Amino acid sequence: MGKTARHLRPLAALLGAALALSTTACGGATDASPAAEAVDISGSISGQTINYWSMWKDGEPQQKVIAAAIADFEKETGATVSVQWQGRSNTEKLVPALNTNNVPDLVDGTFAKLAPVIGETGQASPLTSVYSYEVDGKAVSSVIPEKFTSNGVFKGEDGQPWMVPYSVSSDGIWFDAAQHPELKAKPPATWDEFIEVLDKLKASGSAPIAADGDIAGYNSTWFVTALLRLKGAGSFKALVEDKSGEGWDDPAVLEAARKVETLVKGGYLNSGYNASKFPAQQQLWANGDAALILNGSWTPTETGSYAAPGFDYSSFQFPAMGDNPASARVDFIGFAVPAKSKNQVPAQRLAAFMLNSKYQNALGTEAKVLPVRPDAPVAPAVESVKAAIDAAPATHLQNDGVTFPGFMEKVFFPKDDELFLGKTSADEFIGKMKAAQIQYWKDNS
Amino acid sequence: MTLHLTEPRTGGAPVHSPESRKPVPRKSQRGSRPGGSSIDVQRKKLLIPFVGPAFVLYTVLFIVPALGAVWISLHKWAGSGPMKFVGLDNYGRIFRDQLFLSSFGNTLLLLFVVGTAIFVLAFALTLVLRDMAGKKIARNVIFFPHLINALVFGVLAGFIFNPGGMVNTLLAPLGVTDPPKWLAQDNIFPLIMVTLVCTTTGYFTTILMAGVDRIPPYYYEDCALAGASAFQRLRYVILPLTWDVFGTCAVLWTISSVKIFEIVWVFGGSSGAGVPPTQSWTAAVYTYVNAFSGQSTPAYGAATASAVLSLALISVLVVLLRRAMRRDAVEF
Repeated sequence: MGKTARHLRPLAALLGAALALSTTACGGATDASPAAEAVDISGSISGQTINYWSMWKDGEPQQKVIAAAIADFEKETGATVSVQWQGRSNTEKLVPALNTNNVPDLVDGTFAKLAPVIGETGQASPLTSVYSYEVDGKAVSSVIPEKFTSNGVFKGEDGQPWMVPYSVSSDGIWFDAAQHPELKAKPPATWDEFIEVLDKLKASGSAPIAADGDIAGYNSTWFVTALLRLKGAGSFKALVEDKSGEGWDDPAVLEAARKVETLVKGGYLNSGYNASKFPAQQQLWANGDAALILNGSWTPTETGSYAAPGFDYSSFQFPAMGDNPASARVDFIGFAVPAKSKNQVPAQRLAAFMLNSKYQNALGTEAKVLPVRPDAPVAPAVESVKAAIDAAPATHLQNDGVTFPGFMEKVFFPKDDELFLGKTSADEFIGKMKAAQIQYWKDNS
Repeated sequence: MTLHLTEPRTGGAPVHSPESRKPVPRKSQRGSRPGGSSIDVQRKKLLIPFVGPAFVLYTVLFIVPALGAVWISLHKWAGSGPMKFVGLDNYGRIFRDQLFLSSFGNTLLLLFVVGTAIFVLAFALTLVLRDMAGKKIARNVIFFPHLINALVFGVLAGFIFNPGGMVNTLLAPLGVTDPPKWLAQDNIFPLIMVTLVCTTTGYFTTILMAGVDRIPPYYYEDCALAGASAFQRLRYVILPLTWDVFGTCAVLWTISSVKIFEIVWVFGGSSGAGVPPTQSWTAAVYTYVNAFSGQSTPAYGAATASAVLSLALISVLVVLLRRAMRRDAVEF
């Protein structure tokens, strides 16, 4: 052993040193998250600095509006905002940062992305003070429509809101009003009227619905929205939460699946939707080769560069079913403040500042997205969506806000894809989902 | 004849007999000079300054994170916030998860089926290219696809295989009115396999050719004089003399095939706009979706468990492969 041992001894010493070094570097990783209290955010913040990790990239329309707001904010308050325009991956970068003591003071993102990483893990500060802070002489809570907050989506485990939205997105069934003025004049209000429209379109020789079938999130909108129409907002989440899986035996759930099956079996979907690659189908829709597409409020901006000349964007809501009031899909984009941030006050003040009508109006007219404030004007292309949100009695989140680990990606999406792509019938889909959900909860509780 | 790489360490005559490898009794060392010859002393003095920094970096950047991953895999954890110790639950759950098994099956398909196709093709190309005029140009041409980012192939797949894409447009004049659904969920993985064969063959051909080029021409002349057939030449000259290169390539492929991720992600994931269909997942994609899908609460425990399992199974495969490929290197 002589020679080897003598070589190994210094190596062992090095290994020890390296281990010691790396464990100290990760120190604090297991710190319990601080039990944060709402702070008083009035008062001077002059001279204070915050770090903001933005979901926007330099040059994006939304970035320009926020950058202008930050410039005004710095001038008005004397605080300094150091921004990193990181883009959509900012939430992925946030996860490891939350395990250190070097966290950003302010982050923004979609609710769907922020909730799993910071909202539901108790890593966000309560922003109660932001909601009571006044912008344009009114409390923030009064400029955000009550139906956005009344179902408590922003509330953390402590019952206090952890997110402040500044913009929203929604969806609708989009069409070219220049080609189909009849749809703008009288959009189908019920499912039967919708099928009538589809039959007429089919008879006229054009493909009724375009769909990028390779995007599971788009496919699932059909089944999930149909279910929400039948059973109301929150019913999909309740169905999924049911550990016994018995909810899937509800005739209304089968009914929702049957609606999707009708679209598939009825040949209303553009041929090739089940074997194409995004954005092929929305491109041919924008070229006028298909009449309708169910997609987000971003559709006009996303397809604007290749749409047929004279394309006049308009949309109607997913048709109503039964007597339930039809909720509108509203997904939120907004701010959260990590609980570990040491600059709570200026960070929360900036979150409130974005709700000034000046920047809300700019989001609507310059960035052409939907501002969270209903009194802000929007671009003509999304007026139909805004009208639908304003008129809806309630709202729901994309996928009804289901974020259980891996449930959508591993359980729901694959089976829903089979249904939407015509590989299984509605009855088979129900049976498979029930079994898979029971197994999921057996493994994950 | 075989080459022995055992270096003379004591400064004396080259050591060959197995007996001399036995540890020298300590006493005799102390008796002569503490720590052995002066070269040995120098060598020991330089060990820390030379090996130390690399060793520390390697430990901090690779070994500790790997151990950290094993630790995380024993917990239920969303990436931040409280960690709950669950023991080996994550592993049990993964083995029961049909999706992990099918994802891992896909990884094995890439490793063995695509690997076999690549090596058969690469070897065939090597033999063809050896005597070809303009082989340097040909070599560059077949190597070229390897330089292109996999993302490009993912995007290109859309242009080529979409319902209104290139292939169907070319087929239409030939009377094919109902072409196959190229990009249907079940067809994506076979397409990925074909793409990988096309892009990776050139890379291994280049390495194998370097090995084949090393063979001195007089062996071929010998073959010609002895009247050996082309197959005999392959069997008795080329294969034995390139075996070590071949073995290295096999290990390289094993390691890289396990990590294949981005091409699956862009091929079926709509260039990153969503998660690819589960039919085309590999173990790496499974790991990623569990931790970073962005659509649900991250499950770091399950993700690291699947990563640790992949690492373990692959380590076993590499060791087995090395064993199976072990021959005495031929000195020439």
